[in-house]
Amino acid sequence: MTDQGIGARVKRKEDKRFTTGHGKYTDDVRMENQAYAAFVRSPFAHAEIKGIDKSAAEAMEGVIAVLTGPELVADGIGNIICGWAVTSKDGSPMNMGAWSALATEKVRYVGDAAAVVIAESDAIARRAAEAVEVDYAELPAVAVASKALAAGAPQIHDNAPGNLIYDWEIGDEAATDAALAGAAHVTEMEITNNRLAPNPMEPRSAVATYDPIEEHYTLYTTSQNPHVARLVLSAFYQVAPENKLRVVAPDVGGGFGSKIYIYPEEITCLWASMKTGRSVKWTSDRSEAFMTDAHGRDHVTTAKLGFDADNRIVGFKVDTIANFGAYMSLFSSAVPTYLYATLLSGQYDIANIHCNVRAVYTNTVPVDAYRGAGRPEACYLVERMMETAARELGVEPTELRRANFIREFPHQTPVIMAYDAGDFEANLDQALAAADVAGFAARKAESAKRGVLRGLGFSSYIEACGIAPSAAVGSLGAGVGLWESAEVRVNAVGTIEVLTGSHSHGQGHETAFAQVVADRFDLPLDSISIVHGDTDTVQMGMGTYGSRSGAVGLSAIVKALDKVEAKVKKIAAHVLEASEDDIVIEGGQVKVAGTDKAMGWHEVGLSAYTAHNLPEGMEPGLKETAFYDPANFTFPAGTYICEVEVDPETGVTKIERFTCSDDFGTIINPMIVEGQVHGGVAQGIGQAMLEQVVYDDDGQLITGSYMDYTMPRADDVPFYDVHHASTTCPNNPLGIKGCGEAGAIGTPPAVINAITDAIGTNDLAMPATPQAVWSALQASGKSMAAE
Amino acid sequence: MYSTRYHKPATIDDALAALGAGDEAKVLAGGQTLLATMKQHLAAPSDLVDIRAIDGMSGVTVQDNILTIGAATTHAEVATNADVRQHCGALGQLAGGIGDPAVRHQGTIGGSIANNDPAADYPAAMLALGATIITNSREIAADAFFQGLFTTALDENEIITAIRIPCPAKAAYAKFNQPASRFALVGVFVAKTDMGARVAVTGAGEDGVFRHAALEAALSADWSESAAAKVAISADGLMSDIHASAAYRANLIGVMAKRAVAAS
Amino acid sequence: MDMTGEFRIGAPREAVWQALNDPAVLAACIPGCEAMEKTSDSSFEATVVQKIGPVKARFHGIVELENIRPPESYTLNGEGKGGVAGFARGGADVRLEADGADTILLYEARAQVGGKLARLGSRLIDSTAKKLAAKFFDNFHEYLSKEDNAEEKSAAAS
Repeated sequence: MTDQGIGARVKRKEDKRFTTGHGKYTDDVRMENQAYAAFVRSPFAHAEIKGIDKSAAEAMEGVIAVLTGPELVADGIGNIICGWAVTSKDGSPMNMGAWSALATEKVRYVGDAAAVVIAESDAIARRAAEAVEVDYAELPAVAVASKALAAGAPQIHDNAPGNLIYDWEIGDEAATDAALAGAAHVTEMEITNNRLAPNPMEPRSAVATYDPIEEHYTLYTTSQNPHVARLVLSAFYQVAPENKLRVVAPDVGGGFGSKIYIYPEEITCLWASMKTGRSVKWTSDRSEAFMTDAHGRDHVTTAKLGFDADNRIVGFKVDTIANFGAYMSLFSSAVPTYLYATLLSGQYDIANIHCNVRAVYTNTVPVDAYRGAGRPEACYLVERMMETAARELGVEPTELRRANFIREFPHQTPVIMAYDAGDFEANLDQALAAADVAGFAARKAESAKRGVLRGLGFSSYIEACGIAPSAAVGSLGAGVGLWESAEVRVNAVGTIEVLTGSHSHGQGHETAFAQVVADRFDLPLDSISIVHGDTDTVQMGMGTYGSRSGAVGLSAIVKALDKVEAKVKKIAAHVLEASEDDIVIEGGQVKVAGTDKAMGWHEVGLSAYTAHNLPEGMEPGLKETAFYDPANFTFPAGTYICEVEVDPETGVTKIERFTCSDDFGTIINPMIVEGQVHGGVAQGIGQAMLEQVVYDDDGQLITGSYMDYTMPRADDVPFYDVHHASTTCPNNPLGIKGCGEAGAIGTPPAVINAITDAIGTNDLAMPATPQAVWSALQASGKSMAAE
Repeated sequence: MYSTRYHKPATIDDALAALGAGDEAKVLAGGQTLLATMKQHLAAPSDLVDIRAIDGMSGVTVQDNILTIGAATTHAEVATNADVRQHCGALGQLAGGIGDPAVRHQGTIGGSIANNDPAADYPAAMLALGATIITNSREIAADAFFQGLFTTALDENEIITAIRIPCPAKAAYAKFNQPASRFALVGVFVAKTDMGARVAVTGAGEDGVFRHAALEAALSADWSESAAAKVAISADGLMSDIHASAAYRANLIGVMAKRAVAAS
Repeated sequence: MDMTGEFRIGAPREAVWQALNDPAVLAACIPGCEAMEKTSDSSFEATVVQKIGPVKARFHGIVELENIRPPESYTLNGEGKGGVAGFARGGADVRLEADGADTILLYEARAQVGGKLARLGSRLIDSTAKKLAAKFFDNFHEYLSKEDNAEEKSAAAS
């Protein structure tokens, strides 16, 4: 259709304001009479609060109020909850400990807020926060999940004995054990998935305003899902009824999952605005972000993967301990269960899978979904195991994968998921060709001449996106449905506004969503605006995470477009005195096919709103709403190939080539999709080689700044070679699978498989820093291999 | 931020007066460590005495094969200065590798040396090149100047005005970046000088920058990559942190020394 | 972290032991100690200022002596709150062995910091702790090695 429709590489409309410094972020919001909040944060990982002396802070000029947890509880503000109930294998419910927005009796991690200061300026608030004297009685702390499970470990919540939140399983353990017992070969590994800090470019922020006349609250905040925020703030935290609470998530500078959740700070700002009669703003600094943004990953897993004599997988048994931090964040319970264990079949036909997951409290910041959320952990485990098994079995890693690929769809795995479409071999073959794997041996020999080690690693990932069928997730314990909504408003002049429940915080919805509309009605992109992020403007929606905006959000838009098209055709048929079936929409016109009878697109809009000449019984206006509930998850998949060079003297690893072949289904804007892949791969490389949150034995966060937490920089990542070999998703109208998380999911195992191939040992944990690689080389005695 | 009095004296005397008058006055030479520390409220000086506008504090001159660099000369100026490039290219290369462009255009050589961060680059160059640190009241040899972790021979309120560096026959600096901060995890500066080979190591020592006697002996006897490679590097006294064990740092000292000699 | 040391002091064990229990001596030897007051036979209130590069933090806290076995050994523990900087605690197991007229002092020290200092300065924690521990015992050694102090303490002990 148009050169701005589906499949066009249209430059992002929103980038004009983003790249010229004109984005409007939460911290840019300036309310009249605005005051500032600063939190008094615990320097201890675990302590009783014996008392709080506010007097010095209250006496400071410019301090409006110093507020504490007991006051917040007394005002009826509810505890922060996890919205997905996971049941232990013995049938007992998960042990959720109480989490008050401001601590009452205990603090449970470094950064847990014991009080908040509201003041006339940010500087005064921060200074006064330092003057609040909290009398802490320090308690023993534990930061490592396996240690938190050990006998005698410090008890973090009274209602979670032994710090165990749940002990959950999926799959048939007896059958899996039997399959492994009869296996010709079993590969065993212990795999750690390193803990990550999300680090969106824009730190979290909130501006809350209470209107005492209307008893109404307005919250501007950095959210990926403002409607869900409003729902939870209203229904669970008892801040205000939904009709008395407006939540606006304006431009948001990246989320990666960390801005899904409702955090203590937003709740506190809302409450404080009511207490003080002032607008209250809080903006996290980077130190607070490291301390308080929900972290990602942090799993330790032991696993066994069994093969028969023909190298076919017969069974896969997994035991995982997941660190949840000090409190259960909004979706934390689902991450290591329904977003992780259900993907353990990978791209392979595996008859027997069993996975046991223990979720554990520790004295660390809460852990929740971070780009990929459970699926990177699953993919890393499966693909490290496959590569290691191939080495042990003495077969080519790609051939072992090929021998076990699922080839018929739909395919029901033994762990809930029913894959609907895919062609795994097509992706593998495309990646092999693009990466010139055939030429690897020659490149390796050339590297050896220079004294460096070259390695090649593969990862054939699959993920479940398009989250998610509401009835299915409801049956698994989700507290919400995961549909999406859209409203398409055709104005009287023919321009279009699309109100979507999806939220864009870097994804380019304003462009890609508009392309779908432009494509549908053959209209210029400029005449279409995408509206999102304001609960007063946009109908209830579920927001953006889990690569769902294309597969679910756009599907809702398409459903609304269907309704608009039907009405447009009815109006045009009536005005042009033709049959609806003969009406076509193209070139800015609505025409009677095969005739010269036509009216302008804008004239249809005008007709709808003047309502002077509408079909009998038709309501005026041209505005349609749709809710779309997906029939299944979508299953993006692909193969990534990483080629590295390792300097054996220093352990420095350089990624020489990184090749992607993805199956994302239909692609709306290839440029945006490639950008999503680039960003995801960079984050995957970050996890594989650079990033690691470290808490010491006492629960002190010692990677609290960019001095010690390594983010990927431009020279840490290669130029990516991104390809697509797509099958259409049969379960949504556009055939979209989703692309937002693939890079972060598929990349880590490809990188580690490449490095371990180069250095000749499987014993290497993420992040593979130079020191880690050098140490692995020393341990394996292979450091001289290249010399 | 927290309130502090800012002074911008035009003379050393005025600077000294301001430093003496302040309750807890601090010299501001470039502020790339101090300002970040103040933002975290881990330092709260009563007065900041900005010495960058003092006449003669900035710039590079060369005479009789000796470079003199004003204390307030920025890293970017050192990195791009033609005299530095001609007479001691290794120093220019080192300066060009400090931090990022923003840091290099604010940070100064005098500030870096006075701070003596155990992972800073300049102290290694000063030690290896046998520089002389010139202050408002005296001259101090680099060997006597650096006294361990963040400690120098400077008295309270003594101001570095310039650094004098005899140009070496050969020199090079090899730096291995700490992955996150890109400070030196290990930096080795090698110099072939009239006093023999001098090798200084930053980033690695538990007590800050130090000269490496074994490498100096080996390179004095034979200025070659292979001579450097043969030296066994002890891990004793080396720093261990989450980024590198003492053993890894020891390995890197050897590798960086070898590479520095190769590049000299 | 390994923070151990030993050194010989040219004074009898009793004298060294007295010095180890003398708040004035401890105050003189704890690096950066601004004030120290005895609050019981085995505990003191102290204010200690630490400067690490541009960072300056003032810690208020307590110093306690535990596991006291005169004149052989004790454990010295200190814990201080440094306001915005966070907190620090450190300690040392100290043992005295008589060797003729001399005394051998052996120590094993440990340190921990929390809050902002830990978050922002992890690279410096171990080196600084080691340096401060060594400094304390160096100061102590120096104090007792000064002839007049040793004689004075010796006289006091007899």
